[in-house]
Amino acid sequence: MPDPRAGTDSASGQAASVTPPLLEAEAVQVTIGKTDILKRADLCLESGELVAVVGPNGAGKSTFARAFCGLQKATGGSIRWSGEDISAIRGRRLARLRAFVPQRAQVPNGVTVSDAVAIGRSAHLKPLQSFSAVDREAIASATSRARLEGMEDRQLNTLSGGELQRVQIAVGLAQGAPVLVADEPTAQLDLGATAAVSELLRELVHDGYGIVLIVHDLALAAAVADRVVVMSDGATIATGPPVEVLSKELIGEVWNVEAELISHEGRSGLHVEWLGRV
Amino acid sequence: MGAVTAGGLRRSAVTVFLLVALLAAVGASLALGAVKIPLHEVIDILTGKDAPGPATQIVEVLRLPRTVEAILVGAALGVAGAVLQGALANPLASPDVIGVTSGAGFGAMLIILLRPEDLDLLPVSALVFGLLAAAMVFSIGFSGPSGGGVGRVILAGIAIASMFAAGTAALIAAYPDRVPSGIFFLVGGLTSDGWNSLEIIWPYFAVGFVLAAFLVRPLDRLMLGDDVAASLGSRPRAIRLTAAVAAAVLASAAAAIAGLVGFIGLVIPHIVRLAGGTNNHTFVIPVSALGGAALLVAADTLARTIRAPIEMPVGPFMVLLGVPVFLWLLRKVV
Repeated sequence: MPDPRAGTDSASGQAASVTPPLLEAEAVQVTIGKTDILKRADLCLESGELVAVVGPNGAGKSTFARAFCGLQKATGGSIRWSGEDISAIRGRRLARLRAFVPQRAQVPNGVTVSDAVAIGRSAHLKPLQSFSAVDREAIASATSRARLEGMEDRQLNTLSGGELQRVQIAVGLAQGAPVLVADEPTAQLDLGATAAVSELLRELVHDGYGIVLIVHDLALAAAVADRVVVMSDGATIATGPPVEVLSKELIGEVWNVEAELISHEGRSGLHVEWLGRV
Repeated sequence: MGAVTAGGLRRSAVTVFLLVALLAAVGASLALGAVKIPLHEVIDILTGKDAPGPATQIVEVLRLPRTVEAILVGAALGVAGAVLQGALANPLASPDVIGVTSGAGFGAMLIILLRPEDLDLLPVSALVFGLLAAAMVFSIGFSGPSGGGVGRVILAGIAIASMFAAGTAALIAAYPDRVPSGIFFLVGGLTSDGWNSLEIIWPYFAVGFVLAAFLVRPLDRLMLGDDVAASLGSRPRAIRLTAAVAAAVLASAAAAIAGLVGFIGLVIPHIVRLAGGTNNHTFVIPVSALGGAALLVAADTLARTIRAPIEMPVGPFMVLLGVPVFLWLLRKVV
């Protein structure tokens, strides 16, 4: 079932064309101490595509995202950004390839929305260099993309959860990277704010961004994602269009609960047997 | 950003105010003392227009070096505090928490109590032991799996600082009769010793200030959390370590010149943040330098003129000037 919103052919598996995928992570492994947090995880991302990584608590979703973003050292496998191995990409150059939007925003005192977005742009500056007109343009455009216009002078510690999350996304956008990796951006948001963030992410995908969304909520994943990657026990076990992959059987196997995904044209829901399997 | 905002205006006002305060304090520091020299004469002396005489001697040999020392020490402590508070995301951070103060105190007391005939070595000994204490803190605080974490660095700092403080206490107990000559160092005070100490110590100030300038942006990124800083291509651990090194070098150099001057490193960055209404390091770091310098020059002038010719240690005077401002801001802003 090709998704009309995606803008690209979902048969990206055969896109062995000239341009390599934005992100290609294969058999990624993370071992901390003697514990295998991540055993074998794969993910591929093209531009104009939103991939949701789903899985139960402790499946390794966040670790995987941090590993392919370079925030956590991978102990095995290969991670390539636009065809280049991550170990060869440093600092500011990596910052211009992907932006990582963490789950929980740090909310410092004495920082305004425009300060924060400008900090996001600082990945484009050499030390001691100041912002150019192009940088200021990028800051303004990130601010308006995240619908923060008129809030530039607000202090971060006066914002609501939804507003903060949009600031986080604006910081990522100001980085000017083609890929946004968001770790549970809606985990602490109410329904309306969740919908607003989802809509924003979809718009960005429409404009050609590649987005990886780590998400708990299967119904939300089904509504916004072009593809889902299912993780269980430190490994990716399935990938594909949401409605095909998130079958009753798979949900039962991975989450150990009886549930059925209902999805139709941007509306989705999960029918769960909350008290079923006693 | 480019446009003039209320916040921008407020920050400019604070900067201009401190600049004027610093200039006024420098003027007072050069003009006032046992011999009062009118300001226009001071300017003539500095620009070389005045014929050599006793006033030239006083300004060039005694007051100018001392004023420069006060500027450097005040700025260094202000910057050290701002950088550390940013790096450790802890409002209570000051050069004390990375062991520098206790280390430098021990180094100075070693010379004052054990080798009083070699008092020339005091600045070097204070500097070396200040840096040694900091190096010990870093080797513990930045190693191991949780190395570079805020909690680990602060705990290591407290442990090492206690060790050197115990050493100082032991020295004091062993040589109680020689302690009075060490008090001036322990409470913090400048002396009119010409350019001698600065000639040895200035490179450390230079290194510290340059490092701090390069830390402005990385520390801003760190404010948004380690993950955002990493997303922006910085390494949080490396930022913390560099910041701690910069603070250690600046605070050790300051201690070598002026003894254990407290207060500036802890409180000036807070005053600057409260007054400017922002935590942005582009503002906080340079303006803390300005504020620290202004306060120390003013307090030192007061300390050596209030009961001239007796010179009082500057530490208590600084607190006298600074605490009311701080408390007023705290009530007004927070």
